[in-house]
Amino acid sequence: MSNKFCVSLTNAKNDSDKATVAFVIANAAVASDKETVVFLSTEGVRLAVQGYADDVHEEGFAPLRELMANFVKAGGKVWVCSPCFKRRKLDENKLVAGASIVGGAKLVEFTSAGAPCVAY
Amino acid sequence: MNRAVEPPDGTWDAGDMGCGELVLELRFRLRAMAPGSVLLLRARDPGAIEDLPAWCRMTGHALLRAQHPDYWIRRKDEPR
Repeated sequence: MSNKFCVSLTNAKNDSDKATVAFVIANAAVASDKETVVFLSTEGVRLAVQGYADDVHEEGFAPLRELMANFVKAGGKVWVCSPCFKRRKLDENKLVAGASIVGGAKLVEFTSAGAPCVAY
Repeated sequence: MNRAVEPPDGTWDAGDMGCGELVLELRFRLRAMAPGSVLLLRARDPGAIEDLPAWCRMTGHALLRAQHPDYWIRRKDEPR
């Protein structure tokens, strides 16, 4: 059984249901002692900006801000697609805690080491 | 799994919390307890019936008894 787990998320407020469930599943993975990465790309990168997710609260779930904070608190990592972030002209000095900007090679290295990946 | 267990060292009523929210909060709570201590968890979410045994298998914590919605879990022996 691999000790790594990847959640790929390509949505933000355009589909807050998917954005929320992605972090719920990521929390299940990190809680299960998996080295867990949420990879944000395309629209999903907006979630990496401080304050963006503050007003996202899907019925039946904890607020997205809380889900993301708990994920990082438990040791989860948030990787942000560099070109996706740049083309949206977002501020790399305002990343949420636990987030870092990476290129594709970082994701390829992680998943090639045996990390299963689910996508939202 | 359904053998009698000693009185728990702590209890937590998780209400309707489920899925990743449930197991992450459970992780935080178990880590705050001493190794070998037992938590009695009440989890009403229907997914808990399958999730909690799987979570215990992956993490190494012992599911001593499961009688939904009540679960007796012994924290594994390792440094916190």
